[in-house]
Amino acid sequence: MKNIRVYSFLLFLLLIILWEAAAGNMSELILPAPSVILFTLFEGLSSGYFTPHIVRTTLEILLGLFAGSLFGFVIGILMGESVFLRKLLFPYVIASQAVPKLALAPLFILWFGFDMTSKVVITALICFFPLLENTVTSIQYIDKQKIELFRMLKASRWQTLIHLKIPAGMPGILAGLRVAVVLAVVGAVVGEFIGGSEGLGAVIIASQGMMDTPLMFSSLILLTLIGMLLYQLVNVLEKRWSKPYMKEPKK
Amino acid sequence: MSFLTIQDGTYGYEGNTPIIKKINWTIEKGEFHCLVGKSGCGKTTLLKLASGLLKPDTGNVYFQGNNLTEPSHECGFVFQSPTLLEWKTVMDNVLLPVSLKRKITKEDRKHAASLLDMLGLSSHLTQYPQHLSGGQQSRVAIARALIQKPSMLFLDEPFAALDAITREELQEDLLRICQAQHTTVLFITHDISEAVYLSDRVAVMDQGKIIYDVNVELLKPRTMKMRYDPYFNDLCLNIRQVMSGEQS
Repeated sequence: MKNIRVYSFLLFLLLIILWEAAAGNMSELILPAPSVILFTLFEGLSSGYFTPHIVRTTLEILLGLFAGSLFGFVIGILMGESVFLRKLLFPYVIASQAVPKLALAPLFILWFGFDMTSKVVITALICFFPLLENTVTSIQYIDKQKIELFRMLKASRWQTLIHLKIPAGMPGILAGLRVAVVLAVVGAVVGEFIGGSEGLGAVIIASQGMMDTPLMFSSLILLTLIGMLLYQLVNVLEKRWSKPYMKEPKK
Repeated sequence: MSFLTIQDGTYGYEGNTPIIKKINWTIEKGEFHCLVGKSGCGKTTLLKLASGLLKPDTGNVYFQGNNLTEPSHECGFVFQSPTLLEWKTVMDNVLLPVSLKRKITKEDRKHAASLLDMLGLSSHLTQYPQHLSGGQQSRVAIARALIQKPSMLFLDEPFAALDAITREELQEDLLRICQAQHTTVLFITHDISEAVYLSDRVAVMDQGKIIYDVNVELLKPRTMKMRYDPYFNDLCLNIRQVMSGEQS
């Protein structure tokens, strides 16, 4: 297990070599070689061509993720705490999720225009559900004896929420955030596919039009990197939260 | 006026047949009472009724003369499992009851530290519950229940999951602290010798009723030797026979 990272890297190298070899026999239009993609990527980054697109897409992802997660968390708390609200809102929440959200993108562009707002709204809507679902579930299934302990201590509902339910439900809530982060990238890119002149999604559509496949791959790589970076960020957040009490004691 | 009185207490979960059937019980100030009985006989439910966590369907519970309708500030509760908050250190877990009421002062910290010291945990103040053994976790739970100097303490089989030696050590600690603080105690266990060793009075429960009760005439403070006393063993045997239905 110690060398697993090395093996993982070797596998990556092997795949790249295979890809490079396979691309040698194919048109660049179908499958550009990794070396060509890397060159395009480097050139785009050094010339500053990618910068506004990266900034735009990242901003859409972050804003959408923030808004969607915050709403999901807050409404999740309200629904977790109130049976009435849970029963009242759940059919609507399920319906809102059953609608293929990406199919709503054209509608949002119609409502919110071609600028950033529409993409942020789509991203937020996609990020909303994982947070909501995980928050509702996490704060409902708290150890019964701990709830009784708080009753015994005459803690108010607010105190029980702040001091018990949210901290105890944190691992579940953060797992929801991890799902939301990955979905946020999808939301922003699909928004840009449908309407937008800036952003990595728009670059992909443009490169399709220009038959510039290396550029398309470069954008894909950048999107993957953004997604992975955000995912790692949530992992760090999770570790920070749970590290002090989960780590093994010093022997 | 008794310190705690259960008067004709009857309780059934969501309208099912009662688990607790017309129980009458009184505890005087400073007494240590134990309830023994087989699993499922209603011990925990009776403890919850006595502590105000549950309200009787019929009958009443009086704490210091007042009808108890909700848990009282003056009571502490130790659950079957330690129920410690994993994200808080030992010290913060002990101080939880105080932190829910007001800001923690230096005196509170001192008091918590002295309680933990009495329970042999002075070197674990900054550790998290996961890093403690089962016995140590139970000790933290006891310290948390005692932090506000409750006049009444309810314990629901707190030592059930511990090994015999650790259990005996914890029994000693509990008796010592409760005697020092003049705490009145209602303790649930299925261990007969634990009940006899700890308490002034033992009640046997079966199918929601108290079928037998006896005063324990052993000197205080209790000593290890008493566990091998003929009187002690006779009493244990007697209770054992009542529990298995050989004697009533």
